[in-house]
Amino acid sequence: MTAISNDTEFRQALDRLDTIRQRVVAARFVEHVLPLSNDERLAMVTRTAARRDAPDSELVAALGSARAATFDSHTRCGSEGDWSEQAGYFVARAAAAAVTPAGQLPGGSAWQAAVASRMARTCESISQDAAADNPANEEIEAQYSILSEFLDS
Amino acid sequence: MSGPTLERGINTLREQIDAPVAAFFNSCVHCGLCAEACLFYTETRAPEYTPIHKLEPLRRVWKSEYTFLGRLASAMGLGKKVDDALLEEWEPLVYDSCTMCGRCSMVCPVGNDIAYMIRKLREGMAASGHAPGGLIAATRRAVTIGSPMGVKLPALQAQIRHAEKECGLKIPVDVEGADYLCTLSSMEIMNFPEYISAIARIFDHAGVSWTLSSEGFEATNSGIQIGVSEIAAELVGRVVKAAERLKVKAVISPECGHAYMAIRWEGPNLIGRPYGFKVLHILELLDELRKQGQLRISGKESQRLTYHDPCQISRRGGVVEQPRKLLNMVAEDFVEMPEAGTMNWCCGAGGGVSTNERADDLRLKVFNRKKVQLDAIQAEGMVSACSNCRIHLEDGLEKYHMDIPVLSLTETIAEHLVDKTPAGEGSS
Repeated sequence: MTAISNDTEFRQALDRLDTIRQRVVAARFVEHVLPLSNDERLAMVTRTAARRDAPDSELVAALGSARAATFDSHTRCGSEGDWSEQAGYFVARAAAAAVTPAGQLPGGSAWQAAVASRMARTCESISQDAAADNPANEEIEAQYSILSEFLDS
Repeated sequence: MSGPTLERGINTLREQIDAPVAAFFNSCVHCGLCAEACLFYTETRAPEYTPIHKLEPLRRVWKSEYTFLGRLASAMGLGKKVDDALLEEWEPLVYDSCTMCGRCSMVCPVGNDIAYMIRKLREGMAASGHAPGGLIAATRRAVTIGSPMGVKLPALQAQIRHAEKECGLKIPVDVEGADYLCTLSSMEIMNFPEYISAIARIFDHAGVSWTLSSEGFEATNSGIQIGVSEIAAELVGRVVKAAERLKVKAVISPECGHAYMAIRWEGPNLIGRPYGFKVLHILELLDELRKQGQLRISGKESQRLTYHDPCQISRRGGVVEQPRKLLNMVAEDFVEMPEAGTMNWCCGAGGGVSTNERADDLRLKVFNRKKVQLDAIQAEGMVSACSNCRIHLEDGLEKYHMDIPVLSLTETIAEHLVDKTPAGEGSS
C-alpha cells in the first residue's frame, strides 16, 4: 500500500505519472469537489478526463467547456464576492487543468487540478465561516488517499 | 458626506475647473485626433465616443462661468445648461466608454490631458448621483468593509493558509520593521490567490524582508474610479496608516493598474502630504531584484509570448522597461504587439468599466482592437501585470474564440526560480 503523507511525496508521485495517468487522477481530484459546483458542464468534463481512452477531439471539447465554465463563474472586478459561488470557479479551474494538454501548466496538470480543488474547498470554508483550516486540510488528506489508491490500483 | 444632488454635482464641477482644465478647453482645436486614439471610437465609429466630446458637461460649466462670452450668453439666457437630463445622457459616455487609459492624452496636438479631465468630470457626475450602480455599490463596500468585493480579513487569512501550504513558506503578516509592505487587490485574493504564494516564493528566494498588513491589505481604490476624492483619500489613508505603523521602507502595489495609479501618483495629493516611504509596483521591485542578481532563473517559456501593457502601469505609470527586462529572463520567443508600451491599446475594461455590467457588451465589442493586435503577431501566450486586465483578456479571448493563455508576469517569474537547494545553478 502506497503511503503519501506530505506534498513533497504527493508531487513526486504525480511527476512520475505519464500524461494519461496524470489526467485520470486529476479527474478524481476534481470529482471529489464536484459537489461544490452546480455547473453541469463540469461533470461531463470530469467524465471525459477520467477515461483513459478519451480521444483528443473530446479532450479539446472538454477543455473548451471547462474554460467557458471558468469564465462564467469568476467574480468580476468590483462585484460583491460570494465565496460559495467562488468555490465553483475553482472547481472549473481544476477541471480545466485536468484536460489541459501536457506541458502547458507549471507543475503538471494533476498538481494544478489538486491545487485548484483545494482552493475550492478553502472557498467553501470561507463561505461557511469555518474556523481554522480543517476543510482544506481534509481535502489535502483526501487527495493523498486518492493518489495512493490510484497508484495501488 | 451629504447625498448626491444636481446642485452638488454642478458645484463640484465648478470646483474641478482649475488652470489646466481651463487651458485645455481653451486650447482644443477640434482636430478629432483623440477619436482615433480611443478604442471605443475606433471599434464602433460612433462619434459620441470622441474623447473630448465626453467632457461636454464639464465644458459647459467652464464656458458658462469662466469665459466672457459664456457668461454673457448665460446672462441673456442663451447658455447651454447642465441639468439632470444632460448628466443622465452623459453617464454612459463618462463611465461605460472610457477606461481613463490616457491614450487620447498622448496624441492631443495641443497637449490636453483628456484623461485628467475625465477624472475630474467623474467627481461631478458622482456628486450629482449619475454614476453606475455597480461602481456605487463597490465604493460603498470599499468604505464599509474595506474591499470593493467584500473581502474580509478572515477570508484573506484563509487564502494565506492555503498559500502557505501550496508554497511551504510562512506568509508574514503585520511584521513591524519589514522592508516592504505588500498590498493586494481583491481580485487577487478571490480569483488569483496564487499571486500570494508567487510573491512569497520570490521574496524567500531573494531574501527580501516583507509583510502583509491585516489593516491595510487592500490596494484597489474605488474612489478613484467613481470619482470621489474624499473616499479615494480615505482608502489611500488606510494603506498609509498601515505602512507607517509597520515602519516599512516601501509599499508594493500589486498586479493591478488603477491601484498603482491611486497609491503611487494620486495618493500624496489626495491625503495632502508626502509619504515617509517609497511606493513601487511589484514589477519595479522584481526588476530591482533582477538588477541586483537576486533572481536566479531556470528555463524559459518556449511558446511565443507577448506582453499586454496595463495602461495605468505603463502609459500613465511609467513602468514600461521593467516588465520587458523581466520577460527577457523567462521568455525564449518574446514578441511585441504593434503599438506596445506607452501607446498600447487598453484591454477595454479599466477605469471601473469592468465593474459596470451595463458596459459588458461594449467592452467585449471593443476588445476587437486587442484581437487585431494579437492576430498581427500570432502570439501563443500573453503576459500581463493587472488582474483586471487578465480577467477581461480571458473573457475577450473566449468571446473571439482565441486560444491564448493569459499569464501573470509575477507568477511566471516565480515558476522559473531556481530551487534554493541545491544552490549554484541558474542565471540572473
